[in-house]
Amino acid sequence: MSLSESGGQPVANAPLAPSSGDAGVLVRARGVTKRFGGLVAVNSVDFDIPRGSIVSLIGPNGAGKTTFFNMITGFYTPTSGSIEFDGHPIVMKRRNGMKSLRPHEVAALGIGRTFQNIRLFGTMTALDNVRLGANVHLKSHWWDAALRTPGMLREEAENREASMDLLRLVNLEDRAHAWARSLPYGDQRRLEIARALATRPKLLLLDEPTAGMNASETRDMTSFIRKLRAELGLTVLLIEHDMRVVMGISDRVTVLDYGEVIAEGTPVDVRRNPKVIEAYLGRGAADT
Amino acid sequence: MTTLVVKDQDPYGHGIGGWLSHVGAVIGALPGTYRRELTIHRRRTVLLTVLVILLVTYPILNKLFLAEFSRTTFPLPLPDDTVVTFMMIFGIMAIGLNIVAGFAGLLDLGYVAFYALGAYTAAFLASPHWDSVSIVFLANVAPGFPGIHLPFWIIVPIAILVAGTFGALLGAPTLRLRGDYLAIVTLGFGEIVPVVFRNLADVTFNFSLGPISINAQHLNLTGGSLGINPIDAPYLPFTNLVFNASSGYAPVYLGMFLLVIAILFARNLERSRIGRAWMAIREDELAAEMMGVNTIRTKLLAFALGASFAGVAGSLQASYLGATTSDFFTFSTSILVLIMVILGGIGNIWGVLLGAIALTYVDKTFLPYIGQQVQQIAPSFPNPAQFNFLLFGLILVAMMRFRPEGFLPNRQRAAELAAHTQADVEAKVDEIVAVDAEAEVEASIAEDPGIGLDNLGPPPGQAEASGDARAPETTDEEREL
Repeated sequence: MSLSESGGQPVANAPLAPSSGDAGVLVRARGVTKRFGGLVAVNSVDFDIPRGSIVSLIGPNGAGKTTFFNMITGFYTPTSGSIEFDGHPIVMKRRNGMKSLRPHEVAALGIGRTFQNIRLFGTMTALDNVRLGANVHLKSHWWDAALRTPGMLREEAENREASMDLLRLVNLEDRAHAWARSLPYGDQRRLEIARALATRPKLLLLDEPTAGMNASETRDMTSFIRKLRAELGLTVLLIEHDMRVVMGISDRVTVLDYGEVIAEGTPVDVRRNPKVIEAYLGRGAADT
Repeated sequence: MTTLVVKDQDPYGHGIGGWLSHVGAVIGALPGTYRRELTIHRRRTVLLTVLVILLVTYPILNKLFLAEFSRTTFPLPLPDDTVVTFMMIFGIMAIGLNIVAGFAGLLDLGYVAFYALGAYTAAFLASPHWDSVSIVFLANVAPGFPGIHLPFWIIVPIAILVAGTFGALLGAPTLRLRGDYLAIVTLGFGEIVPVVFRNLADVTFNFSLGPISINAQHLNLTGGSLGINPIDAPYLPFTNLVFNASSGYAPVYLGMFLLVIAILFARNLERSRIGRAWMAIREDELAAEMMGVNTIRTKLLAFALGASFAGVAGSLQASYLGATTSDFFTFSTSILVLIMVILGGIGNIWGVLLGAIALTYVDKTFLPYIGQQVQQIAPSFPNPAQFNFLLFGLILVAMMRFRPEGFLPNRQRAAELAAHTQADVEAKVDEIVAVDAEAEVEASIAEDPGIGLDNLGPPPGQAEASGDARAPETTDEEREL
């Protein structure tokens, strides 16, 4: 497995260790390709996410953003390439092809995510949604649960407390016992983030967190994401269509088009990049 | 000093002592809990209280005057001791199936297989069937009596283990299947197990591998279509208390004891991280997996635990009746238990218990009673007791039409059921609208290249590309995300 250095990396000076992660980079993807039959959805993408940064992945519809997301979370197995998270390989080469960790294993490693169209557990309470997120860190077995052993009761109480803290963080503590699906749209978006935070992630993947929000809700969400990074030390990867959000909070922006990285850099650089303008607006617009 | 302080802050304690004090606290708080339940869920609590009191006192009432009244004054459709015992047995089964179908949302049409496994476990371990050996341990037979004779109290855990293991074995390769496919595989398993028990009565085989050579001539493993009998009745060691079909109402209380344990286990599981994981899988399996739930393992656990309840029920049934044959374990039994769960209220322990009691009563007492009455009045009229499944079918259709969530519904399941029919329609509409809207946006952007970077849409060139290249490749799963 050879890792090739690609241009425009945020931590260009850091040495590239082949297996264990270096201090600066949380996610390292190299040559990631995903084919669906004849269609190449993601084509040989190199991608780094520096620790503690907010990185955005943008691109026209069908550019392969969500496919890339799904490969990081273990939902899709790349056709080729390598993805490492925090020094752990997410994708492994096996004799009979590529093998990816299962999504719950990736979640246990420390990647939490939200979904483009909200996927809460609708008839579970807000509190139970968050408590489910912590499932991966609970150790009691079924026999503990059946007998309600002291260890299990203690763990449940601690989990409940921690989950209430998370609900407080997203301002939903007074709706803790309401069904998730009865919450207003903006609350559901924040509840989904609380649920993702309950998995105690190092990396938070947000798939269009401001989709369908009005201007003031979008502003709240943007400052909330900043607050998450500041207070919890999280690294955030965003997929977002709203350019004000992307340009406002990203440290770095990566642009995908037809499954390939066409630009990578700071928001200002990307905005000026003629390839990006062409991808979004067509050749004519780039020429003028 | 510090350890003392820590102990003060920790209300749960450790080990057995902590557990016992927790149990004590729960029992101590029962009156308060009951009062609270009475105010919150008044109707349900009153109904259940009446039912429980009736069940507990029924044997005594029956002995005192009900049976006498029915015999001399007016024939009432009163369940006898066998029927009440079977209410308990089916109650345990319904609670087990509710774990699989109600909590985890997996349709199991072959649940009877685990019932059969439990019954045959009891038959193998407490009968003269293996007459070439003699193992008697704490059993109600004389030492040296041929066959293996273990007490019921050891057989139950073994039956749990056997049924649970087979549940896991069946689940391991099949739980990757979804919905209908899983139902068909379980259906097959439910047919195979009784057939295996029926046909392993005359086994002849030669097996040799190097120095190892195993020969069997006409080996009777399972008793064939005659089944295995007699099976030792459950009995309380060091007493004369025997729980079989001829010991009146004693087995009812044995069944009740096991049923209470089953209820407590199921309830505790429901209110734990495992119960939450089952619920999450039922609601959105993919999201649950992404949130760190090992979905395959959790579903396997539901399957194995649900199966083990049927193992208990099966071993109780075989020991109680003192005989078992493969005829007991037909597809119709699987369906009967499933109807109990659905009628009672899928997902709600008390509901499925009510369903089990009501349907056992209708099946084993009420319909035969009606049949008897009809035969007396009009002997040529067909006996309604023979049409029990027709009646169940009609009840089921009526329930699905008027109260699909069951008698005592689970709030969540009721909401899901209501949502599903509606959501199907809405999802279709959404899909159509979304496709139209996308096309519109694409068209407007193609017409107007002056749109700024601030409100980006798909590029005009990509509109055709995504139209013809992507559409056929896009899988269902991808569209889900």
